[in-house]
Amino acid sequence: MDIVGKRRIFLSISLVLVILSAAVLVTPGLNLGIDFTSGSTVTFRFEGGDPGTVRVKAALDRADHPEAIVQATGDNQYFIRTDDLGNTGLDAITDEVALMAEAPATVLDTSTVGASVAEDTVRNAVVAVIVAAVFVMLYIMYAFRTVPSSYKYAIAAIIALGHDVLIVLGVFTVLGMVINAEVNAIFIVGILTVIGYSVNDTIVIFDRIRENVTLAPAREFRSTVNLSINESITRSLGTSLTTMTVITAMLLFGGASLRDFLIVLLAGVIVGTYSSIFIAAQVLVLWEHRALLPWRRTAVSS
Amino acid sequence: MNRFRGLVLVAILVVLSVVALAISEINIFGFSRGGDSALGLTLGLDLEGGTHLVYRAVPEDGRQPTQEDMEGVRNIIDRRVNEFGVSEASVQLLGGSAGTVPDRVLVQIPGQTGAAITLNFGADTVSARTLEAFFHDNLDRPDAKVKQNENRSLNVQLDKIRAEVVDRNGNVITPSEADAWREAIIDWFPVALQVGYILPDIIPPAGGDDTAVDPVTAEVGTLPTLEDVQAAFASVGRSDADIDQVEAVDGLFSILLKGIDTRTTDDEGNPILGEDLRILNALREIGTVQFTSSQGALTQWIIGGGIQEAKNLIGKTAQLEFRYRECGDLLPPSSDIPWPPDGLSVDEWASARCTNPAYFTESATEIDAADLDDAFPDISGGGIPRPVVTLVFNDDGADAFFDVTDRVARQGDRLAIYLDGEELVAPGVDQAVGGISGGRAIIEGGSFTAEGVRTIAIQLRSGALPVALDLIQERNVDAVLGKESLERSLVAGGVGLVLLLMFMIAYYKIPGLVASIALIAYMVMLLAIFKMIPVTLTLSGAAAVILSLGFAVDANVLIAERTKEELRSGRSLLAAISAGFDRAWPSIRDGNVSTIIVALVLFWFGDRFSTSVMQGFALTLAIGVLLSMFTAFFASRLLLRLVATSRLGNNLNLFVPVRDRGHQDQQGEPAVGGNA
Repeated sequence: MDIVGKRRIFLSISLVLVILSAAVLVTPGLNLGIDFTSGSTVTFRFEGGDPGTVRVKAALDRADHPEAIVQATGDNQYFIRTDDLGNTGLDAITDEVALMAEAPATVLDTSTVGASVAEDTVRNAVVAVIVAAVFVMLYIMYAFRTVPSSYKYAIAAIIALGHDVLIVLGVFTVLGMVINAEVNAIFIVGILTVIGYSVNDTIVIFDRIRENVTLAPAREFRSTVNLSINESITRSLGTSLTTMTVITAMLLFGGASLRDFLIVLLAGVIVGTYSSIFIAAQVLVLWEHRALLPWRRTAVSS
Repeated sequence: MNRFRGLVLVAILVVLSVVALAISEINIFGFSRGGDSALGLTLGLDLEGGTHLVYRAVPEDGRQPTQEDMEGVRNIIDRRVNEFGVSEASVQLLGGSAGTVPDRVLVQIPGQTGAAITLNFGADTVSARTLEAFFHDNLDRPDAKVKQNENRSLNVQLDKIRAEVVDRNGNVITPSEADAWREAIIDWFPVALQVGYILPDIIPPAGGDDTAVDPVTAEVGTLPTLEDVQAAFASVGRSDADIDQVEAVDGLFSILLKGIDTRTTDDEGNPILGEDLRILNALREIGTVQFTSSQGALTQWIIGGGIQEAKNLIGKTAQLEFRYRECGDLLPPSSDIPWPPDGLSVDEWASARCTNPAYFTESATEIDAADLDDAFPDISGGGIPRPVVTLVFNDDGADAFFDVTDRVARQGDRLAIYLDGEELVAPGVDQAVGGISGGRAIIEGGSFTAEGVRTIAIQLRSGALPVALDLIQERNVDAVLGKESLERSLVAGGVGLVLLLMFMIAYYKIPGLVASIALIAYMVMLLAIFKMIPVTLTLSGAAAVILSLGFAVDANVLIAERTKEELRSGRSLLAAISAGFDRAWPSIRDGNVSTIIVALVLFWFGDRFSTSVMQGFALTLAIGVLLSMFTAFFASRLLLRLVATSRLGNNLNLFVPVRDRGHQDQQGEPAVGGNA
């Protein structure tokens, strides 16, 4: 199977996806949760039956929280997002919704994040991802020191990683519009998981390339890459299929609390597997043949 | 079997792990792990329920808090949280990248979204164990945990108390559960009363508990009889009391009755006379009471706890200040000024001179809150008990307190007591009494509630925070929700794992089966490690477990695929397994090491996030990935070799499907058991 030869198709698909993701990220942008915007969330469970979103919203209006966003999450449960409730706000809205429902409203879970924390979270998340990426690059350079210009492997892996993260963010933006999926702390964990998976998956393919380059240094690089991809594709699919099986099972049987996280993971595994084969390895080929920068391009037969 | 020594090691580890997981509570030479949770694992707040609070130090007058300040903050909060009756709470300092001072405090309180009831039977008549059993068996609340406080009151921790629900008109639709419990406890636990009468002409000697001497002039000359006492009880509607006359002494009765309601307010909150006092009054009407003592009456019933109280308790600076308040002059300072000033009447002036800030001045006193030895919630004596805070000073404090109160008494001034800049109370001192010695004082604030005094007492006892704190982040997870999340995650994880194993076996046959066994061993060891370290398992930790499981699967898939390839190229089974592993190992190693690098970076950054999500994830991931490398190296590799040398190894179809094997099949079955 000549995957390297068809790289234009795959690179184009990725380019389109990346551009689309970037576009939705700019506008409308991610549906940021309180970890990033500050404010409070409350999850209520109504013991006396489902009161309906409209009545819950009305009760919150009465409790002086017209900005509240109300979302039914099933099992007579409602997820509510408001401005910072402070010290007394929770009691006020709990009273008001219980009054409305004429039955006890159990507060399952509350969370309040102050504005300064929210700022810190964004900055720290970005810095953490960058620092992690730099260290991974350094390690790849070290691990691939036996092949010529190992930094190319490191950079290609990071390009694939950025591709994966960007597309997963794009997918999540769309989910934010469709099912109100919110970016919260656990979402960051999801992205980190995708990073871990993506790097690992890329390294497995690069390992094959490293092995084949060492075995037959004289072979044309693009043939080596193509051979390596073909040799490791069953493993790639085997691993991602098994991982996806577990994630899908958890998605179907698990609770709502992990739903968004698992969707991120599922998207990450699919994109991560795809990018290792069709992006990371192709970037190496393009680079090897100086095709990354058009004016320095040498002839690349395809 | 030297070649399989690694396998024996893994087998031993797995057996140890199973044992570690099977014993829910391990306790060896003071090394204790586990608890009553599932498998004895330490669960995070999102799985167990609990409260997570982050406070930030507020710089005062431009002064940044120092390291010592923050350590002090941590210790004091630690003490407060412990006094609050919370076990396993964690208080840690956050922030402060290399070389700077941490500026945040993370307080994690497991299971504290629920509520607590503080109750007091007056004496050690009911043990914590008895009350806990009562909650478990009679009130059907297996979640109740009872412990005794220092001042002998009992603290009941509950996941939740169903609050009362009122409709728009204020009618109670569902009464609070706690009200019903109170009734049940009052009805269940007996109160033992003793009353002794004397003839009124005898001067009562001092003695007896709770002496209530009252020379009431009724029925002079004879002591009340059993019938009189019975009639007295009947008159307050308590003919159910079990009354005995103690033989040896006339006029001494012991009474056992249940259900004494000592509430001092009615349902509307108006003060009423508690039933205990009504009984006492009835007993006084029939004779001269020498003494009464009662044991086991419920004298205190405070529903508190929960997040609100915790927040009040933890974040307050608790700066206690005693200030000397010099009231406005009672008499005109000179004859030509109209007095009282501002057209006030003499009566108005008498109170305004000490309560209106326009007329008094205040100055600091020698009384230092650091001289406070103890502070505890109490109930004032007198007709209608009120919640008070009793202060106990050390010698220095006692002396200073005497000096100040002496001056207050002589000058007719006030002693103003402030907590965090808020006036609690500003009492005067009776001129006839003079200075108060002995170093004990009671603060009785007009707005004190029973919950309030408990909180104040704990704050005072634990000391004042060196810096002010601001609550910047808060998260509470209901214990019930946590339990549901845990159960669902476990079910989902279980289903996922079973599907995974089925897939592996169906697709990879014997290598898949071997991988499955290795994965099960992996999971068992991973959980055992989590239990023994212990690693707090959170939802994000669960995510890391999934990811590391993915890595463990990947390692096995890599080995299996490479082995297949080697078989295809015509090697013998054992040689193929060896070569396959050797080929797979570099990518297993590199992939896992880069993931460990990511985990380390996250762990390093984790404490800047004001949340334990990152660090939990990173730690779990690092452990999981390290273990997956270990399992791949020892269990998967050696187990595969072991199976290959067994009779299963003769059937190559179980290792590589025929269609995959290519042309070299025709050359016959490769030699098995060769020199791998």
